[in-house]
Amino acid sequence: MESTGFVWPAVLVIAGLNVLMMGMTVVLRMVRSVGGRRRQALLKEADALLEEVLAGESVPEGLNALATRDPDVLSEAMIRHLSLLRGAQRERLVELAAGLRLVDYYVGEISARSRWRRARAAENLGYLGGPEVVGPLSGLLSDGDETVRAVAARALARIGTPEAARILVRSLGDPSDLTRLRVAENLERLGPLAVEPLIERLRSGEERASAMAARILGNLRAREAAPALLQAARDGEGVDLRAQAVLALGRIGDPEYVPTLLAAARDQEWPVRAQAANALRMIGDVSAIPQLERMVSDREWWVRVNAARALASLGPAGEKALVRVLEGEDRFARDRAAAALESGGVTERIVRDLTRSDERGREARRVVRAMVAAGATRRLRRLLDDLPGDGRRELESMLRTGEEG
Amino acid sequence: MSFGEFLLVVNYFVLGYFLLINGVYALLYVISFFEIADYTRREVFSGFSELFASSYAPPVSVIVPAYNEEATIAESVRSLLSLRYPLHEVVVVNDGSSDGTLEVLGKSFDLWESDRPVRMQLETAPIRGVYASSDERLVVVDKENGGKADALNAGICAAGYPLVCCVDADIILEEDALLRAARPAIEYSDVAAVGGIVRVANGCEVDSGRVIEVRTPREALPTLQVVEYLRAFLAGRTGWSRLNALLIISGAFGIFRRSDLISAGGYSDDTVGEDMELVTRMHRVLHEGRRKYRVVFVPDPVAWTEVPSTLRVLRRQRDRWHRGLIDTLVRHRRMLFNPRYGTVGLLAMPYYFLFELLGPVVELLGYAAFIVGLLLGVLNVPFALAFFAVAVGLGSLLSVAAVFMEEMRLRRYPRWTDFLKLVLYGVLENFGYRQLNTLWRVAAIVSYLRRNTDWGSMERRGFGPGEPGKGR
Repeated sequence: MESTGFVWPAVLVIAGLNVLMMGMTVVLRMVRSVGGRRRQALLKEADALLEEVLAGESVPEGLNALATRDPDVLSEAMIRHLSLLRGAQRERLVELAAGLRLVDYYVGEISARSRWRRARAAENLGYLGGPEVVGPLSGLLSDGDETVRAVAARALARIGTPEAARILVRSLGDPSDLTRLRVAENLERLGPLAVEPLIERLRSGEERASAMAARILGNLRAREAAPALLQAARDGEGVDLRAQAVLALGRIGDPEYVPTLLAAARDQEWPVRAQAANALRMIGDVSAIPQLERMVSDREWWVRVNAARALASLGPAGEKALVRVLEGEDRFARDRAAAALESGGVTERIVRDLTRSDERGREARRVVRAMVAAGATRRLRRLLDDLPGDGRRELESMLRTGEEG
Repeated sequence: MSFGEFLLVVNYFVLGYFLLINGVYALLYVISFFEIADYTRREVFSGFSELFASSYAPPVSVIVPAYNEEATIAESVRSLLSLRYPLHEVVVVNDGSSDGTLEVLGKSFDLWESDRPVRMQLETAPIRGVYASSDERLVVVDKENGGKADALNAGICAAGYPLVCCVDADIILEEDALLRAARPAIEYSDVAAVGGIVRVANGCEVDSGRVIEVRTPREALPTLQVVEYLRAFLAGRTGWSRLNALLIISGAFGIFRRSDLISAGGYSDDTVGEDMELVTRMHRVLHEGRRKYRVVFVPDPVAWTEVPSTLRVLRRQRDRWHRGLIDTLVRHRRMLFNPRYGTVGLLAMPYYFLFELLGPVVELLGYAAFIVGLLLGVLNVPFALAFFAVAVGLGSLLSVAAVFMEEMRLRRYPRWTDFLKLVLYGVLENFGYRQLNTLWRVAAIVSYLRRNTDWGSMERRGFGPGEPGKGR
């Protein structure tokens, strides 16, 4: 430790680095601050020039200069205007973007080395371009960077031509979760345009893409996809595909699909059974009640939950089925049935019917007795406070009998 | 070997250790810098606003363990219910509070005792009841006291959604924090857990459970912690996340896939570092199950927490943190230097063992050898002073670099005065504060060896509406 020759230079280096880092931090903040102000000024200038154009005047010279000097700033201002405009004025701005060669500029930027410039190009072309840029943009769907792919998907959806839809559907098989997610969201935005290529994709048999296609078709409530979805629900290779097809059928909601859904409710795989229960709830056909009643005793928790929820939403017949479950031997099923009656607001309604002397009253007393016997009395006790005299006495007596029993 | 020679050897050892640890820090900083720069650029094109309306975002259960939180729980829950997310529920777990926490919740949200069953996939203290609300997005679980980890486990069992977000009851989340934190799990199916950045709320203006103006604390101690948090989160965790070797997701704010949490066995209730222990165990279980997975840190979603403003409370907190770290490393010692666990076994575990656990011991040894060496005249005085200057200089360089990264990415402190204060405190923390932390952490090792499992309580002053750091 006696040789101190190298130490003082080290001190100087560290001190220098400290000063440099502090300087960089302060300079970064200043540059940000100045750059932000400059950008705001340019945006203001661009806004003013665009307002002139929209007011029907000829294209000001300043716009050409701005398009050459700061295409990104001008595009940002244009995009802001485009999101607020409709009809002829919007068309005028789109034509202006082409006239100022902004579209050509960004088409050129698609092959830039920087991924951020490619992403910026895709983003802006989605707003400023038309059908003519679908081709160049489609190339970006196989870009090496997933952010660029996701932005290109969004841009294609904005352009929204049938060709753009077909290209997007092809990307549903992308290995990146992020890209698939963005493509799916954007296909949903495209709506009816996407249905036909999605049906083709659904029939392709490639599980990941087919399952996603089924899910999108369900979200779009695409009735014309029903034959393909029914086939996928019956014979789909993968669990996810069958589950998504079943759920999509439920979303479309035609009672004709019930037989297929009932078959799906007996699938070997629990995700398919769970989605079948959801789908049957969405369709709301009482013919599904016996199967749903059996499903409340399924070995898988989520199937029981969805089946009980489905029964609770099927009106008096569904409620009767839940009461039968409550009176049954399976403790888990009883718990689930009581919870479904509670969350569906059935318990609350039934308690109010306790003092009636007609069929509804008899049914209400039967349900309460079943709940008391099953030990599901917490909600009932809370409801005691809200009941008027007779109803309150009736419920108290039933709860007491249950305790003594 | 004479005593003087021995002292020289010790000093050389400390010098070598010092160079190694700073080399590792520098490497982590470089990784973090590029990661944050990349994240910032990506963010521009993220289409974040579209995600709010996405039907592909899986729903999230926000789990809030609450113990004697009657003063703040209603506001916290309201603020959590108002988070922007396509579909989320809030599961409050009343962990056997002895105050009116449950009653306040009952009155504020019109709760009733429900017959809804809880699927007990994890072992917890007995559950006394489940309460439902007319707002279907709120569930309250009332249970016997079992500690924070136990309460979190009960919440995980009661959660109905595939993603769970564990938060402290006294945390303040920004409106879009949930979506920002959940985003990696939405966008990548291999993401098992996500940690977000936790920031210091002391000094900020808080109103109705939201931070409405960001300022640095008025007092020195919390300000020092602001810099410390920036360093730990922005520089440390970002780097480890990039290496897929992140061992800590703050217990105050983290997102997990419920299925992965369950398969890892949930939170352990016999450790004081349950957050680090859980993430380490998840790494272990997922590696052993040969699962392709990632544990991610995002430098974006912001949770605000009140940090200790007295030395006494800070000491207790740091003592607990360090005991938690030791406990985790001891429990999972088979992962240390074990290639089977990838970057976790080969990089993160050795780093935490050699630098985080033993670092304070070596540092204290260095100070002692340094002083004794100077007193005995074994050390060359100019050399010793220069070495000390380099140590302090490197420390401040790392702190200021963390402020630089903050400026690069988040820019949360709009005022120049606050910003310059952070730069200044980045330097100041190396004079006294750092040494104090070293002492506390060494004491924690002793405390651990004595089998101390005390949690130590956090005394919070809370925030009055519109008044920075005002005591309640």
